[in-house]
Amino acid sequence: MKREQINKLLNKVPTHVIVILTMIIWIVPTVGLLVTSLRPPEAVRSSGWWTVFGSQTVGGHYATYCAECHGADGTALPQADLTNPDVIAKYPRSLQLLALLRKDINGQPHMGDNSLPSAQEAAEIATYLREAGEEAGSKFTFNNYIDALVGYRGEDTYRADCAAGTQPPDLSCTARDILNPRGMGRAFINSLLVTIPATFLPILFAAFAGYAFAWLDFKGRFLLFALLVGLQVVPLQMTLVPISRFYAQVGLNGTFLGVWLFHTGFGMPYAIYLMRNFLGTLPKDLFESAYLDGASHWTAFRQLVIPLAMPAIASLGIFQFLWVWNDLLVSLVFLGGTTPVMTYQISNMVTSLGSGWQVLTAAAFLSMLLPMIVFFALQRYFVRGMLAGAVKG
Amino acid sequence: MSKFSKILGVLVMFTLLLTACGGGQQTQAPTDAVTEVPTEAMTEAPTEAMTEAPTEAMTEAPTEAATEAPVAGEIDCMGAAQGDEISMLYQWAGAEEAALNQVLQPLIDACGIVLRPESTRDQALLDTRVQAGTPPDVAFWQVSQLVQYEDQLVSMDELGANRESYGEFFIDPVTINDEWLGLPIKADVKSIIWYSPANFEALGYEVPTTWEELDALVEQMVADGQVPWSMGFESGDATGWTGSDFIQDIMLVQQGPEFVNGIIDGSVSYDDPGVRQAYETYGTWATDETYTVGGAQGTLSTPFLEAIFKPFADPPEAMMVKQSGFAGAEIKTQFPDLEQGTDYDFFVVPGIQGLQGSIEPMMVFNDTPAVRALVAYLSSEQGGANWAGATFGLSPNLGAAGNYVDPALQKLGDAIANTQGFTTDIGDTIPGGFGSAEFQGISEYVNGGDLDAILADLAAAQAEGLNQ
Repeated sequence: MKREQINKLLNKVPTHVIVILTMIIWIVPTVGLLVTSLRPPEAVRSSGWWTVFGSQTVGGHYATYCAECHGADGTALPQADLTNPDVIAKYPRSLQLLALLRKDINGQPHMGDNSLPSAQEAAEIATYLREAGEEAGSKFTFNNYIDALVGYRGEDTYRADCAAGTQPPDLSCTARDILNPRGMGRAFINSLLVTIPATFLPILFAAFAGYAFAWLDFKGRFLLFALLVGLQVVPLQMTLVPISRFYAQVGLNGTFLGVWLFHTGFGMPYAIYLMRNFLGTLPKDLFESAYLDGASHWTAFRQLVIPLAMPAIASLGIFQFLWVWNDLLVSLVFLGGTTPVMTYQISNMVTSLGSGWQVLTAAAFLSMLLPMIVFFALQRYFVRGMLAGAVKG
Repeated sequence: MSKFSKILGVLVMFTLLLTACGGGQQTQAPTDAVTEVPTEAMTEAPTEAMTEAPTEAMTEAPTEAATEAPVAGEIDCMGAAQGDEISMLYQWAGAEEAALNQVLQPLIDACGIVLRPESTRDQALLDTRVQAGTPPDVAFWQVSQLVQYEDQLVSMDELGANRESYGEFFIDPVTINDEWLGLPIKADVKSIIWYSPANFEALGYEVPTTWEELDALVEQMVADGQVPWSMGFESGDATGWTGSDFIQDIMLVQQGPEFVNGIIDGSVSYDDPGVRQAYETYGTWATDETYTVGGAQGTLSTPFLEAIFKPFADPPEAMMVKQSGFAGAEIKTQFPDLEQGTDYDFFVVPGIQGLQGSIEPMMVFNDTPAVRALVAYLSSEQGGANWAGATFGLSPNLGAAGNYVDPALQKLGDAIANTQGFTTDIGDTIPGGFGSAEFQGISEYVNGGDLDAILADLAAAQAEGLNQ
């Protein structure tokens, strides 16, 4: 009995190890990105994100090579006072420092019998001496998030520019900046305006269609259903040009309605497939007794189907929401830059040469915020709904 | 269940509310949503910034825009009315977009034109828009798009662009079948080598003035235990372009601009012995870890931006990096402590005949008064001067010379104003898939591929691209 239990436990170990490892592999880069988004860009350039968790040891090489003669604080030799900025300015970097160390002083080698520091060590000593006078900046900052929210595109930070009064012309340094069309704040609203109807509409239509395919008897039902499901193979990219041309004729280019219709159209085949299969598993007796009691199709749909199909609706909702929220291509083509959504803004945070990435890290987390909330709010339906319609009764 | 229905209820309510808002915007007229955004950004905010805080903005910031920008009346609006819109599509984003806005601000102030900019690096968007019959009024894209959209574009002569503002070799690359289709708006010089004067001084090196001196300097560095070059290919889909720049510079040194232009127009095949010689010269450096950081693998896998930083890191990992003019701004951003001229600087590739560079053209799809005003402004002397003042790369416009605020740009601007010739990037200029094929071929060569086979493939791609 005991042995069986131990065996059982041991059998589980590999699974657990694999699960934990996978989790770590997935989570570590995300945590790294989060930490990076909260650090000032100068700090990110000079050290890795993991260094924020430990205390920094600086001046170690100074103690090894220089402290013996120059003293721990650098003032031991009056003729070579290492706290004097004018002295330090002569060897700001490792190559100059090494050149100085190789020279003789009063006929004696500078370093005496000791070995020269390596290039890396010399660089650290030079940095240590240069920064000894400067005060260390704070480890974390919200500047990246603020810059992303208001769409700041300058060289410094939004707060610094506003304090100096040199902000770009499209910013006013008031609360109105949060709605700046270049910022993530405005884009968040645009994204909501795109996503919520584009999630709601296909689910609504798919619920109607699913009910019809499952419980209404009409000719060619199966053929029509197969055709609709088959539409899933049509690649979205193929239709961009014809639909764009059509939208231009009817004036839908650059409107929210155009994007809603596009997403509804492309979301429906899968949604109908899932809803029909889920509704097909409901017991037939339920509907028959409802009809016998005089229920119309509309009553049956409203009072039976909607409550019973909640898990399927919720899971569809999550899928469709995430798809539309993270979509760049469709909103780029049909909405473009005049009403930018979050994905569009994120793609425009960095310049074409890749600078400005610190704002990108913050912007990425801003755009993740809502999907995370939706996911955690509906997650129990998510797991349940994955299997919705998978097993047909 | 009840909890969930509540959540759903709230969501639906929210949806209806927002839909109502969105729908309202919708039904009023599509233009409503459009004008609402730009007016806020373009007209309200600037005036506020100008009137409320004029002193700080004007006195501290690069004063060119303020002092040299002429009075509004001097800009010719070409009959554009207040509120006329220009839709634009470009690849610039972030700080670049801000700089472009600074360049265009005087035009907006003078004529009341409203810009509807869109920014993307996805060429599919431009292609979709053009094919759908709804192209942007103007697009800032690559030279090869001038060929691709030859039939849809409006010629610059028709729009009244000022030819006098540009050297002839800047107009040649943007002239397709004798029609001047692109306005050379932004240029970059590729034939330069960045180095650290401080490091050169510490090690006793002199800036070379001939190719032989450069060769000797490289050998000297190797003898001193320094790594001469920092090379990095990695750049997503375009991995290898830094190598193609370097090889083209070597061709310009060894063969001259006639040869390079011959490759571009097809009179010289890409498997010519001259091309082969340049590849081999490059290969001896790019694949050997005594000459370049990390040898062939380092060259292939280092991102091009990282490669720019290596000679200026402390301790320096290399002595020199060959990179276009934009590298100066990247170095300054990466190492704010360093000063142009003492800590980082550049020299033109020694012994080069003419310069290699890139031109970014502006192309026009729709001829409207507002677009004419834009073309007239950008091709005017004042447009060039304002471009220089915005610190947004180089302007081929002769009006830009002498107006740069940034010292590195000033030096480059002088080089470009005095050059005897200018060849564009072979890969960017030959249409079709040649550019990416060239990048790939160079990556293969550095990775140890057979040079004969690579050059034969590229010659085929060159012929195919030019016959299209």
